[in-house]
Amino acid sequence: MAGMDTFAERLTRTIARGTSRRSLLAKLGLGMTGAAAFPVLPVARAATHPEGPAHQTVTSGTIQDPGDRTTCDYWRYCAIDGFLCTCCGGAVNQCPPGTEMSPITWIGTCTNPADNRAYIISYNDCCGTSSCGQCLCNRNEGDRPQVRTQSNNDYNWCLGTGSSVYNCSTAVIVGVALDHPR
Amino acid sequence: MLRQSGRKWIGLLPSALALATSSPALADGAAYPAALPAEPMPAVAHLPAAWPKSWVLIHDFNFNSIVDGRVVVVDTASANQPLKGIVRAAQFGNALLSVKRGEILTAETFYSRLTRGTRTDAITFWNLTDLKPTGEVVLPGGKRQQSVTYPQLFQFTNDEKWALVANFTPAQSVSVVDLDGRAVLGEIDLPGCSQIYPTGTRGFSSFCADGSLFSVALDATGKVARSGTIRRVQDIDQQALFSTPAWVGRTAWFVGQRGVLQGFDFSGDLAKMIPGAFTVGTAAGAIPEWRPSGWQVINADAAGHLYVLMNPAGKEGSHKDGGTEVWVFDTAKKVRTARIALKAQSIAVAVTREDIPHLVLARADGVIDVYDAVSGAFVRSLGATVAYNPVTITPVP
Repeated sequence: MAGMDTFAERLTRTIARGTSRRSLLAKLGLGMTGAAAFPVLPVARAATHPEGPAHQTVTSGTIQDPGDRTTCDYWRYCAIDGFLCTCCGGAVNQCPPGTEMSPITWIGTCTNPADNRAYIISYNDCCGTSSCGQCLCNRNEGDRPQVRTQSNNDYNWCLGTGSSVYNCSTAVIVGVALDHPR
Repeated sequence: MLRQSGRKWIGLLPSALALATSSPALADGAAYPAALPAEPMPAVAHLPAAWPKSWVLIHDFNFNSIVDGRVVVVDTASANQPLKGIVRAAQFGNALLSVKRGEILTAETFYSRLTRGTRTDAITFWNLTDLKPTGEVVLPGGKRQQSVTYPQLFQFTNDEKWALVANFTPAQSVSVVDLDGRAVLGEIDLPGCSQIYPTGTRGFSSFCADGSLFSVALDATGKVARSGTIRRVQDIDQQALFSTPAWVGRTAWFVGQRGVLQGFDFSGDLAKMIPGAFTVGTAAGAIPEWRPSGWQVINADAAGHLYVLMNPAGKEGSHKDGGTEVWVFDTAKKVRTARIALKAQSIAVAVTREDIPHLVLARADGVIDVYDAVSGAFVRSLGATVAYNPVTITPVP
């Protein structure tokens, strides 16, 4: 995992340098690997999904990108934590209208079951509109207390945006980590 | 029409009365010779200056509208009207209860247009009897840390005359605030360290990413007087300590994700690690194993017993799922003294300071359950009637 963390950190630094916030990020001198999204507790799982019909399936339409993007099981969500933007007016790789995408993200490495490649997924938060409240997805594998900033999903990572109000989280493919993972 | 035509609701009265008089369900008025008296208004309920020890503050993260987070005042002894009042804790807010000050304090963030506009961070003071704000201190820089509710992001020091506020931009620092003077005294840089554990007369400690514990003693003006580090107090990979401890006086007991129980003495200027860590142990009935799990996962009663939420499906990533049992520990003998089976998976545990202490559990479905802390017997459920997302519980001291 240490190797992966280092890789993720390097990638995140690369992303950070490419953003308009680079001077801020450089000044802070931090890796900016962080819990993308955000805080999600089991309690929220129940409260945000009252009894009622589930969301209808949303797929890519491409057999190479399989799965329902409204469910936590979708392959890109392997390290996501928050409301899924697919259910919030956005998409798996787009923020909903009216929001601003956070330049500071948590990077995950998820294996696509269709082509067996490990993809780098960037979990950019969408900020500036109140909580979406739909399709909460929470996984805590690898999560550590806030003392290890880059491994904690309890922070609000709507940082470097005009507003820190959190709306939902995306899961954007930014590259291939491994063509043939183990 | 009635005289007070400006009050629209009064205009509805004639039709309401007509409906009432035609109702066959109405009893014979002769049985009740006197009409119900008119009731004074406006009328607003007040709370007692001294809150009963069955009361707790519960932080409602209000996930579906985080900008409208709140803390709720709850009487755990009342089955039918447990919710006594609400205090705002906006946008990942934090709250402190001070009986000594007669106040609740909230540290919050606001935008001038609710979700956009100019950001203002502030501490607000709320009176305990009417839950109305009495003043505020604006925190400069728009840097107050926003996280799911951790008590350690907003703490008292200096005998509750000062508050410490965690900042995260993501550069980390702590603001020192003179509450009585309504002024920010200064800011302590805290690179690589997080959260605030009040230490000594004036000061705090924080855990750091390298596994160490850093302590700062402050002088009378809020500047750093002295600092110190204890190295390797935790193994963040294998046995990370849950951030929120159980406080027994100035001793804080932390539980690790794999069950170690470790105490720290925060009474002096610099923190000390208490020798003799022990573990929660194990028990049958787990697949694969019992591990601590929840949000406010450990707490203590007035006698110093520890109560830990335990999950029988413990594995990597299970640490926030919540527990189905509470295990009780005697820290002097380093033994488990009881196992309390819960009615439902719960994520936060607290113990009241009543003569007969009660366990208060916040469940994953928002329900609040109350147990006898000594016998473990279930006492009552408050239902999901006080908070949407109850995440931390603070008993009246």
